Amino acid sequence: MAKLNLVQAINQALAQEMEADADVIIIGEDVAKDGGVFRVTQGLLEKFGPERVIDTPLAELGIIGTAVGLAAYGMKPVAEIQFMGFIYAGIEQLFSHASRIRTRSRGRFSCPMVVRTPYGIGIKPPELHSESSEALFCQMPGIKVVIPSNPYSAKGLLISAIRDPDPVIFLEASRLYRSIKSDVPDEAYSIPLGKAAIYQEGGEITVVSWGTMLHRAAEASEDFDCEIIDLQTLRPFDEEAVINSVKKTGRLVIVHEAPRMLGFGAEVAALIAEEAFEYLKAPVVRVTAPDAVVPMARLEDHYMPSQERIKKAFEKVMQY
Amino acid sequence: MEFDFRLPDLGEGITEGEVVKWRVKEGDHVEEHQVVVEVETDKAIVEVPSPRGGKIIRINKREGGSVSVGEALMTIETAEEAEAAAPEKKAEEEKRTRPPSVSVVGALPEKEEVTAAPKARALAKKLGVDLAKVAGTGPGGMVTEADVKAASEGKAVPAPPRPAEAPRPVEKAAEARPAGQDKYGEIERIPIRGVRKAIAKNLIASQKTAAFVTGMDDADVTDLWALRKREAKVAKEKGAHLTFLPFFMKAAQHALAAYPNVNASVDEKAEEIIVKKYYNIGVAVDTPDGLMVSVVKNVERKTILDLAMELQELSVKARDRKITLEELKGSTFTISNYGTFGGTYATPIINYPNIAILGTGKISERPWVVDGSIAVRKILPISFTFDHRVIDGADASRFVSRVISYLEDPGRIFIESA
Amino acid sequence: MPITTIETIEVKSVRIIDERGEADESLMPPFKEDDFRRFFEAIILSRTFNQRALSLQREGRIGTYASIWGQEASQIGSALAFNNDDWLFPTFRESGVFVAKGYPMWMLYRYWAGDERGMQIPPEFNLFPMSVPVGTQIPHATGAAWAMKLKGHKKVAAVYFGDGGSSKGDFYEGLNFAGVNKVPAIFICQNNQWAISMPRSRQTAAKTIAQKAAAFGFEGVQVDGNDIAAVYKVTKDAVDKARGGGGPTLIECFTYRLDDHTTADDASRYRTDEEVEAWKAKEPLVRLRLYMEKRGWWTKEYEEAYAKKAQELVDSEIKKAEGYTPPDPADIIKYTYAELTPRQMRELKEFGWQS
Repeated sequence: MAKLNLVQAINQALAQEMEADADVIIIGEDVAKDGGVFRVTQGLLEKFGPERVIDTPLAELGIIGTAVGLAAYGMKPVAEIQFMGFIYAGIEQLFSHASRIRTRSRGRFSCPMVVRTPYGIGIKPPELHSESSEALFCQMPGIKVVIPSNPYSAKGLLISAIRDPDPVIFLEASRLYRSIKSDVPDEAYSIPLGKAAIYQEGGEITVVSWGTMLHRAAEASEDFDCEIIDLQTLRPFDEEAVINSVKKTGRLVIVHEAPRMLGFGAEVAALIAEEAFEYLKAPVVRVTAPDAVVPMARLEDHYMPSQERIKKAFEKVMQY
Repeated sequence: MEFDFRLPDLGEGITEGEVVKWRVKEGDHVEEHQVVVEVETDKAIVEVPSPRGGKIIRINKREGGSVSVGEALMTIETAEEAEAAAPEKKAEEEKRTRPPSVSVVGALPEKEEVTAAPKARALAKKLGVDLAKVAGTGPGGMVTEADVKAASEGKAVPAPPRPAEAPRPVEKAAEARPAGQDKYGEIERIPIRGVRKAIAKNLIASQKTAAFVTGMDDADVTDLWALRKREAKVAKEKGAHLTFLPFFMKAAQHALAAYPNVNASVDEKAEEIIVKKYYNIGVAVDTPDGLMVSVVKNVERKTILDLAMELQELSVKARDRKITLEELKGSTFTISNYGTFGGTYATPIINYPNIAILGTGKISERPWVVDGSIAVRKILPISFTFDHRVIDGADASRFVSRVISYLEDPGRIFIESA
Repeated sequence: MPITTIETIEVKSVRIIDERGEADESLMPPFKEDDFRRFFEAIILSRTFNQRALSLQREGRIGTYASIWGQEASQIGSALAFNNDDWLFPTFRESGVFVAKGYPMWMLYRYWAGDERGMQIPPEFNLFPMSVPVGTQIPHATGAAWAMKLKGHKKVAAVYFGDGGSSKGDFYEGLNFAGVNKVPAIFICQNNQWAISMPRSRQTAAKTIAQKAAAFGFEGVQVDGNDIAAVYKVTKDAVDKARGGGGPTLIECFTYRLDDHTTADDASRYRTDEEVEAWKAKEPLVRLRLYMEKRGWWTKEYEEAYAKKAQELVDSEIKKAEGYTPPDPADIIKYTYAELTPRQMRELKEFGWQS
């Protein structure tokens, strides 16, 4: 057991899976010699050599496209896209191929790949480095989307993602990379995809969140009796956990940093409206960014859900 | 103009460093962008340039001292006119040793913090538990409520809630209050925190759920008055101060035994009334943090003297802020003896999740009709609020009458007691 | 039948002023002393801007910044070959282009400080806002050039990208479109040898980037990117060709990124000091200074006087950049569409940003 931050936990998961399975390889820009721009793959080139940790040319479409080919042939590529803002170039490969190959070939071929990418707001970087467009990927059947909120779950979830037979987008909150530490067991362990974690039990408000905002929502809940659910996997998500919690509390607040319209909160809210209507005491409230493009550094703090806004949402639902 | 040069966010997640060497001294003149100090972070030394030109009037951090991002390193007297051109920063000639690069863009926050669920944090604050010393059993070593409880139970006396939590009376916490103005004049803002906040929450919860009605009545407690006066000496010998409250509690308990539905709470989800077969009576105790309802357990097993002593202990504990969480929980019925502060009739708010509360006002002398003539009697005003979902008006009246019967004829308590 | 060769690729490499400051005057454009001074001062000014930006980042006054040190000749030599009504599409490492074109430096500092108002390009500049995702700006230039052709305007569109950018799909699709439609586009690759930690040799197996133009049916030429005269000449030739209806050209400026990828990067992790030192000896200012000195157009006093002037100018721009009101949060929402949607009007209220 060791206290690791997110970078270290992910590094450990990668190293252990690469040891266990020779088909697991890492591809991406600056991942080998430089150890990744956030140092997540640091030391892996030295450990596993240049045929398993591979620097690619600057080409996201090429990275994801070749990963599809590698995976179809039986390898387990873990592709790194340097920032979520650059994944858009590879969307055609994800949506037209990675997500569909299993169904199109009726199981003859599949795509067991992982695309890892740093996402989200909060490190005051240049443009296009703060994207949180996870909902886009959740819309596509055939893809799984995972967002850990802490080093302990990150290791277990990544190991599951690598072992998963279908394509998984693994989103790493850049703001959390070095700002949070957990006790991480030394051995390899997997946390099942599709299962939420109950961060805290409570009785009055169900709070659903993931990634960086989970922690912000947790801080804001100090004066309230909240049951805080860390979804961990967005697609497919743990519907049962959310429904059971809302049955208990009758109130639901969803917090995410992506813009409101068709952000993942909309899916959760719709599900509860359908499946847990009679348990609701209050309207379902989403605390999100406004419907606008992520601004540059100067306006970053205005954009993300603040403690104030989250608390206001709690107060609102508690009025019922 | 004086300018405090604060250690900037050097990026890459640095939050503090140690001052290794000053390249300038007080009295020196510096140029904008001139390197003034070497700060060591994470075993690498960063040269920090000054963002302003001017004369150094004060070096705030000595060599060997630690400095956090945002802390003032030195103070400069900046010149008014435009600064002379700073020396060209010869990046190619300076060999800068750098802190380890941890990203290629942005500034990554880095902090050491105990991960703990919010309730666990709140509980730790309340119980005075140091989170850093608690072993976390949640996922990834997260500290849970149960962990905090376990850590606190290891102590002999539960620590009192930290003073910073409690809202203070006006004179004491002046430093915490922002002075203010609204458009009519001066105002003062007092944050609602801690105990007061919890009390407020409870009261609202009560008001929201119960269908409450208050009925009022009077009790002629002249005999009780004499009794109390007579027996006060006995109590004093036992070290207790005998007030009316133990009598009220006994009277209430006996009445509750006769009308068990009053000694209950409501389970809304199961749509059930939970009748309690034990009698834990909450009494409002005045503490420096506000009125707290402290619970005296199993009143049915305690004598008036027992009750008097327990109440005395409670008031000492309350004053010293040593009331524990246990002592605040588990009431089945509550008495609000607001008469000690004055007041006759009131509309007391039920102490959720009880379904009734007995309010007793100030005993005063009044002209009363006794056996056809006017006499001066000691009258106790009673206000009884009950939850109409559970008890109807008739039962409520009957209950109050029963209480009054004990108060007006204390001998009844004596002959009914086992 | 004998197998015949039906196509060969020829790639020219152009240099006018060599590393010792010796020039091939037969290739030199008709520059006068003033032109060289203009080049010289532009290099110093953009370099001063750049160095101040690095200091500002260390002082916490701007965010992550991408240095242009070493690439001034590629940027300024090319930028000055365009007319003001030609359109330029830059990346995030084109401070030299902006400064050479006279873009307000205070606006640039504002942008790097994380304020979108810095890229609210004033109408007199035909510059597209800096593109952050690498290579994505290439098809934009193709599109603009295509529009110029369709409308019969005698203008050209030029786009800057790096050796890394040439690996992207946008490069192939953008150049292919330009070639087949014969649009007046100039593709300027600043091959600075590094894409963060990837050396040029690992970016492509092709011997040059310039030769890739052959795949699209037009000419690619490599130029010594540290020789400002050569860069100007090659660009001017390409511009004249495009403007005359001759179609696109790919220019590979062979230069070097002397600094780290950005202020947060540490290049010592993946390259050697010896390599950097070797390139410092051939960098643009050194080269030009040597040449001008040989022609009797350079003195130490001249350089120092201008350097001081440049410092003052840059410092006053910094003051201007910092002496402003903070950006209005309502701008986050206001510029999403031409008009606010009902939802957005609600959000402005909800977030308390109604200005």
